[in-house]
Amino acid sequence: MLSFVLRRTAAGVVLLFVISVLSYLLLSIPDNDVGRQLLGNRAAQDLVDAKNAELGLDRPVLAQYADWLAHALRGDFGTSWFTGEDVVQSISTRLPVTLSLMAGVTLVSAVLSLLLGVWAGVRRGPVDRFVQILGVVGYALPGFLVTLVIVVVFAVRLGWFPAVGYIGFGESPSGWLSTITLPIASLSVAAVAGVSQQVRGAVIDVLRQDYVRTLRARGLPPGRILFRHVLRNAAAPPLTVLGLQFVGMLGGAVLVEQIFGLPGIGSMTVTYTTRGDIPMIMAIVLVTVVGVIAVNLLVDVLIGWLNPKARAS
Amino acid sequence: MQKIRRGAAALAACATAAAALTACGGSGGGSGSSDSLTVATMTLPQSLDPKDAAGSALPFFQAAYDTLIKREPDGSYSPMLATKWEYNGDRTELALTLRGDVKFDDGTPFDASAVKANMERFAKGGGGMAKTLADVEKIEVTDATHAVLHLKQPNPAMLFYLSDAAGLMANPAKFDDAGDPLKTKPDGTGPYDLDSGRTAIGTKWVYKAATGYWGTKLPYKELTFQYFDNETAIVNGLKTGQVNAAVLQTANAQARIEEDPGVETQKQEFDFQGILLFDRDGKIAPALAEPKVRQALNHAIDRATMLAKIRQGRGEVTSQVFGTESVAYQEELDSHYSYDPAKAKQLLEEAGYADGFELKLPRISAIVSDALASSLQTYFKAIGVELTWDDMDQSAVRRIFTDREYPGMVMNIGQSSSDWVAIGELVLPGTFNFFGTTDGTVRKLLPQIAAAQAQEAEPQLHELNRHLVEDAWFVPFYRLSYLHVSDGDVTIEPQSGMALPSIYNYAPAE
Repeated sequence: MLSFVLRRTAAGVVLLFVISVLSYLLLSIPDNDVGRQLLGNRAAQDLVDAKNAELGLDRPVLAQYADWLAHALRGDFGTSWFTGEDVVQSISTRLPVTLSLMAGVTLVSAVLSLLLGVWAGVRRGPVDRFVQILGVVGYALPGFLVTLVIVVVFAVRLGWFPAVGYIGFGESPSGWLSTITLPIASLSVAAVAGVSQQVRGAVIDVLRQDYVRTLRARGLPPGRILFRHVLRNAAAPPLTVLGLQFVGMLGGAVLVEQIFGLPGIGSMTVTYTTRGDIPMIMAIVLVTVVGVIAVNLLVDVLIGWLNPKARAS
Repeated sequence: MQKIRRGAAALAACATAAAALTACGGSGGGSGSSDSLTVATMTLPQSLDPKDAAGSALPFFQAAYDTLIKREPDGSYSPMLATKWEYNGDRTELALTLRGDVKFDDGTPFDASAVKANMERFAKGGGGMAKTLADVEKIEVTDATHAVLHLKQPNPAMLFYLSDAAGLMANPAKFDDAGDPLKTKPDGTGPYDLDSGRTAIGTKWVYKAATGYWGTKLPYKELTFQYFDNETAIVNGLKTGQVNAAVLQTANAQARIEEDPGVETQKQEFDFQGILLFDRDGKIAPALAEPKVRQALNHAIDRATMLAKIRQGRGEVTSQVFGTESVAYQEELDSHYSYDPAKAKQLLEEAGYADGFELKLPRISAIVSDALASSLQTYFKAIGVELTWDDMDQSAVRRIFTDREYPGMVMNIGQSSSDWVAIGELVLPGTFNFFGTTDGTVRKLLPQIAAAQAQEAEPQLHELNRHLVEDAWFVPFYRLSYLHVSDGDVTIEPQSGMALPSIYNYAPAE
């Protein structure tokens, strides 16, 4: 297991490097006029040229990248071109917001999907059909529509939750819960729809296996069969999907953070990417890639731990 | 199975409890209390260092810094850090008398040498507004409370600039510190201090009332600017009380908020929208060198229908670039160019372009909506002018300003109450006249206008405006109505020449 983790980590580092080079090259498109954007359309051209030179944008892209990499390796990610803020500090204030969101959605969708999926897989019949319809509808509804409906109903009409803004957990735990609930609910709809179908399918598959029939014939209590044997063996597909959902959630987070005005990494990505703020975007890219690698690794380890057969393969 | 069912019931109970808890938490999460004010904004200040300040982000700076001169909501000037100002006879020297009782947080006194240090730094600091002090030759410190600005040539907008970004005064003791701390930790004499612990730059800026502020205290103990990148979120925030005040620009957002009985709204005409024709010498598009061609473009568009369809009628059609608060403004020029395709075709024919010509303009989608893009194409096509759009990202504006690839562009431009600010942007070579085109009438009028006060130069300003309209330097469409919205607990006074009002213009509703 240890060598597996080490190998994957090494591959992750290589991936990180490749992505950082590619991102930097893509961000440095020659059309991008950072100085003009910084100083505004009303600024004199010589000031714009001076600003571009000050940021080092008049140098070859590879030289700029090498400079960035040298600083990044020392832990210096620079300051945002557009707000003057320290990049590390800026990300560290926004990361908790997105992580709250992602962890919340993962937790909610894991629990609800497990309940719904097992319920459908064990009961079958009308219950199963109901859960399947729920899944299809939840998956088919566009994310922005779900989010807007949730905002209009629970925030604007009913006034149960704030429509915009974020309160940190440290500032007020109940405030945090109130600001994060609707965003989590919006993102959970599609996640639950997807993962619950995986749980259902895997449970049905495993229930059909010979060994389950044998266990039943031996007279083991159904609950024990389900929890000790069936769920363990059925864990891999839903966990994989859950991991993918977690990784893919950043796309959903962009939308949800914009609609709810949450100061997270998602909304930040949009704001800074359209401006071409390279120091900030590079840091966001790195954080995201590290997150993706870590989650994939975690899922693999978890599947291996739950199911020794997967480890062997 | 029994176990599972019990588990589900427990979970449902938890969920209910959580909902109840959050419902209680929800009310505490808002910012509705009367001593705090949350203003929504779609402007991101580049930094909080005054040398980087721009007019559009002024409120962020006003909280922490005072300006030399205060600009009142109607555009007039009143004392702030400077108590008096006076020009000499030929308007090349501006003498300032300063307050002697103001200190920065660390005890550094605000005095004439601080004014000199700030203005010199602003002019050389590389910020976007540095050029506003280009006419200042030197700053003479007479004594602690007196300074004289020596100007290279008269500049009628100087008082405006001193009430704007160029007049913000920061603590000179911080100028030489490494890493420019003022960027994120402002240090001025203003009515508020930035609460760094609760501020997340780029999203939320929280200011707390400064203890011992020298001037009149503002009614709010806490002032928050919250950044949004879309007006839908702002509308939702206003409806549910997380946002107390905002200005809405899009017609859809304006219509949505007006349905809400709880909010207070008031209109302000601020930006004008239109095509700026840079290439009046015909370097890229030779046809544009002909005044008759430019007039034809003005006659080709149906401004009233465009306003009704694209902006739901929210605004006023116009053919002039000067705003209603400027001296140059003349009401009759709003309707100078009627919608008259036949006349437009005839003008094209007289100019030698009977078969029309091709016109390529850049399109920044944030400014030029799909509806606007296609209506302009249709109107121009009707007189034989083939308009093609080059879609570009805001980040690719290099092609417009540096590479000068286009003969014009569609812009929204804020209309200043100061005539000379508008002239500086649109008529003088530079900002939006980067091909530097001019003509005899303009060359004759500008020195006369510069040497006089705006009111005294009224005849010349009127003549200049009329000339720009008749010679068709631009193709203005309309002035856009912005909507100031408050949650009902705040009274907002719109600020002349600014989309987001000054921070002094908010007060608790009676």
